[in-house]
Amino acid sequence: MWSGAETRVDGKPRADGEARSAEKPRFVLIAGHVVWSALRRLAVLAVLLGVVFAAVELLPGDAASSTSERGESAADLAARRTALGLDRPLAERFWDWMTALPTGDLGTSARGEPVTRLLAGPFPNTLLLGGLALAVSLAGALALGSWAALRPGGRTDRGIAVVATMAFALPEFVVAIALLLVLSLRLGWLPAVTLIGSDGAPASWSMLLLPLLALAVPQIGWNTRIVRAALADQAALPHVSAAIIDGLPRHRILTHHLLPGALPAIAVGVATSAGMLLGGAVVVETLFNYPGVGAVLAGAIADRDTPVVAGVVAATGGAISVVLLLADLVRARTVGVRL
Amino acid sequence: MTTAFPHRSPDQRELHGALDQIASGRSRRRRALRAAPALALVLLALAGPLLAPHPIDRPLVAPFAAPDATAMLGGDLLGRDVLSRFLAGGGPLVLNALAIAALVTAAAALLGVLAALRPGLGRWVERTADLAILVPAVLGIMLIALAWQDGGRLAVAAAAIVLGIPYATRVVAAAATPVATAGYIETAAASGERLWYLIVREVLPNLRATLLALFGLRFVEAVYVVSVAAFLQLGPQPPTADWALMIRENSPGIMLNPLAVAAPALAIGVLALSVNLAADALIPRTGTTTEVPL
Amino acid sequence: MLTRRQLLWTGAGIGLAGVLAACGNGGQTGPAAVSASGSAAEQPRTGGTLRVGALGRVSAVTRDPHGTQTNESDYLIISLLYDTLTVPGETTNTAPRLAGAWKASEDLKTWRFTIADGASFHDGTPVTAEDVVWSLKRLRATPAGASRLPGIQPSGITAEDAKTVVLVSDYPNADLPLLTRLTTFVLKKDTKDDALATAPGTGPFKLDWFRDGNARLVRNENWYGGKVFLDAIEVRIFESPQAMANALLAGQIDVASNVGAVAARTAESRPDIQILRRPNDMAMPIVMRTADGPFADPRIREALRLAVDREAMVKQVLSGYGTVANDVLGTGDPAYAKDLPQRTRDLAKAKSLLAEAGFDLSKTYDLVTTEDISGLAESATLFATQVGEAGVKINVVKQDSAVFWDKTWLKAPLYTTYWGTNDSVVFFASKTMLSDAGQNESGWKEPSFDEAYREAMATADAAKRSEALRKLQQIEYEKSGYLLWGMADGIDLAGSAVRGLPKLPGYGRVQLEKAWLAR
Repeated sequence: MWSGAETRVDGKPRADGEARSAEKPRFVLIAGHVVWSALRRLAVLAVLLGVVFAAVELLPGDAASSTSERGESAADLAARRTALGLDRPLAERFWDWMTALPTGDLGTSARGEPVTRLLAGPFPNTLLLGGLALAVSLAGALALGSWAALRPGGRTDRGIAVVATMAFALPEFVVAIALLLVLSLRLGWLPAVTLIGSDGAPASWSMLLLPLLALAVPQIGWNTRIVRAALADQAALPHVSAAIIDGLPRHRILTHHLLPGALPAIAVGVATSAGMLLGGAVVVETLFNYPGVGAVLAGAIADRDTPVVAGVVAATGGAISVVLLLADLVRARTVGVRL
Repeated sequence: MTTAFPHRSPDQRELHGALDQIASGRSRRRRALRAAPALALVLLALAGPLLAPHPIDRPLVAPFAAPDATAMLGGDLLGRDVLSRFLAGGGPLVLNALAIAALVTAAAALLGVLAALRPGLGRWVERTADLAILVPAVLGIMLIALAWQDGGRLAVAAAAIVLGIPYATRVVAAAATPVATAGYIETAAASGERLWYLIVREVLPNLRATLLALFGLRFVEAVYVVSVAAFLQLGPQPPTADWALMIRENSPGIMLNPLAVAAPALAIGVLALSVNLAADALIPRTGTTTEVPL
Repeated sequence: MLTRRQLLWTGAGIGLAGVLAACGNGGQTGPAAVSASGSAAEQPRTGGTLRVGALGRVSAVTRDPHGTQTNESDYLIISLLYDTLTVPGETTNTAPRLAGAWKASEDLKTWRFTIADGASFHDGTPVTAEDVVWSLKRLRATPAGASRLPGIQPSGITAEDAKTVVLVSDYPNADLPLLTRLTTFVLKKDTKDDALATAPGTGPFKLDWFRDGNARLVRNENWYGGKVFLDAIEVRIFESPQAMANALLAGQIDVASNVGAVAARTAESRPDIQILRRPNDMAMPIVMRTADGPFADPRIREALRLAVDREAMVKQVLSGYGTVANDVLGTGDPAYAKDLPQRTRDLAKAKSLLAEAGFDLSKTYDLVTTEDISGLAESATLFATQVGEAGVKINVVKQDSAVFWDKTWLKAPLYTTYWGTNDSVVFFASKTMLSDAGQNESGWKEPSFDEAYREAMATADAAKRSEALRKLQQIEYEKSGYLLWGMADGIDLAGSAVRGLPKLPGYGRVQLEKAWLAR
């Protein structure tokens, strides 16, 4: 019922102390490891941004023609192209954009808005929604996964497996439409869309609930699988079997033996979840009119607006990288550092 | 990091071998039973067009008409018969998702095992997967499908494959590493066996469980990517009858005729679930049977 | 999902005929609709905040009144803050706004506009001709300036005295005031580009705050145009019509502007929601290339016009929220030729015309479309099915918007287009059908049509002019590259307390200064 395929992302964590044999104090090792990981993740993000620049360039049409209006002549278009700097080589534009990035300058959109201003409202909103969804899905998955692990192969275990797969298999927008129809339009319990106040944040907390649920349900499905499989792997270890045979209380085995060992695998799974959440956010934000970066991203791609696309990727990629780093840290603390 | 994929201990390898033997003795009938829903659904999706009571391209009732005797599931956005379009719209999606899942799994199997046998390649797989995890799926889909304008369904399939391979490869590589470093394979490698022989004859057969589970997951992912692409107006285009497309194009009228959206949405959910159950039924037992009940 | 290239700027707008048509065909549903459009004899009340939803994409937000506007929400906000010289009117095609009056010279080339009495900016300074000239020149200097103010050179925009602005056209133009609707927003002279966000306007509302495409606007107590009833208007940006409709159904907004037919049908069962229909709002013609290619023979174009089932198109594509059209664009114009015989479906005649012209029925022809506006791709799909019954095989190709406007528009043999301003026959003639028109969508060159156009534009006498316009439409009806099967209604939804909403189609819907709340 539960395959371990997802958890083996980073291999089987082994508590054989291979790294602890090093002579330096553990926290120095961990700190070094985290700095190294951070640098590696930054490099990966930079490569990704390069890919994004190149990919938008490959799309048919460009920002000048996409933001023009009917009636502009070829000369008007050429002038617009020059004004946007689209006549310069791609590498040069990428270099300029990347070198400005550390100063917090994300460039200017094809319609003349600074990208930082375009993202100033939406990005915190997306972080808020995504962060909450991540927390909710982690909590839900831990609860469901642990519950299933109490009776391996039992009815509860199998039932949760089916529900988790079903939840994961449903695209967010299907969940979103169903929730909207029932909870808002039929029952009138929750607001149908998110409206913002003068500060750019959602005007009330109740507006967050529907998008939050729509995003979290599929992720609970995914993470439940991860948690359950990681617990299964742990339960198979000799010291856990020994503890069970010794007759320790179930919840104590769960909290003291299973969960700590399973933590690295769970952390990696959840980090993966962060990426999927942001992907799903585009769709969910559109349905609930949630003022996040999803709509900005989709619109910017349609407009071939490279600085905006890259700005969104830098912001969201940065956020995901932080989550991945945390996962690295969890693994480093639990498993030890292999240098 | 010295190696991308840490090794499993020898005792665990032996355990796995023993478990595989136990698993092979499981009731075939129970397995067949669990694979049945997926098979039935796939058959229904493929035979659907033959069962459609009305033409799929002609208006029959008012747009978003509620279900009645003429149109049992009501009308869609142009007043075409939802039931007929529903019956006709499963085949392409099912075949598409199956093909994507099979291709991703096959590519990941080869690359993953290669990565396990060649740690240098393994590190590259790690890096690519690190990169891929930062790409919002929607961005990847839009970039590939927009760059390949006439690609339609194929463009979205390409996006699903490109986006899926790095992660899947990492999963396979992680599972293959302990197998690849097992004594007998290292001996075979040292005695000069060719690489493809090692992959096909020695390593892959030991990864059946991982690959089947992976296939089930990739199928779900494929359905997901195709549906999200349809939501973004990419992939299969109107007037094609396709479950993913039906959900998107009929959702504005969901208050008028909920079935036009609910039928394909439910079908997609059930399809993904049953394919997972089927893949699962074929998996040799490993993880769960080793657990001692708490 | 969203409207692109809205054509706010196309100069022509919406007018009298639209309103007449609204009365003629009983355009509104339910008794409540009457009150929303202000016909009921209630005394307007002062006070309250109106929450209005409008379509737009956050990534495309612009604050520049003379910029490329693709967001309806931006245009709505700008129209409430700033005034144009003239606006679409209810009783006349062009109604006064910042320009209180205008007068043409004998040769119809020089036009004098007088600034309305008491017009002042939100900071209290009076509007001068210098401000208007500076604003018009700024508009003219934008990339699309030449098409926004056609025939008017920058040097032709001058101030005669403090209150009079003079526009000189390169050619006689009896319809010049039409050009000053919709686009000619007036800012203070020398407003810097980086100060646009806070630049004072002259409009009925003042800016309270603006955030990511959303805004709150408060009443301008000193507006020269009359009493404003609402305390405030809150504009909310919506990515999709569906989300906007849901917000209205859930009571989160009071007005859903331009929300579409499906939303209207959803609201039909809700007695607490008013449905407003604004006829002649959107044209979605099919363009058949006349210059070359498979549709160059006029008989083949005639055959396709006879093969389409217009009633079915309106019923299925527009959910019935629209009217059948007759292949002549500008259906809202008072001068629109209603006496041309209505084309109806005649498959036998279509087939014989195709045979006569030697049309190759074995081939499949691509019809290129986009999903820029709702109903467009669906119209292509249904059209393909319908002409299939005449033996013409058509394959619908849906293109990404950016690609469509770059590669297909003005070039392909068969594609769908759309136009949001439909109250001027002359507008379409000059923009899309003259031999040298910059946006000649079907590559049409018809000397007799050009001649009829020139005659109409140089005639000041109303009767003679309408005669010339009748001739122009006759030629268009017989030979052009357009197949216009119907006109979509503009549809707004409103809560039950809303009164005094605009009745005009197209961008006349932004005139919210007379709206009030009965609560």
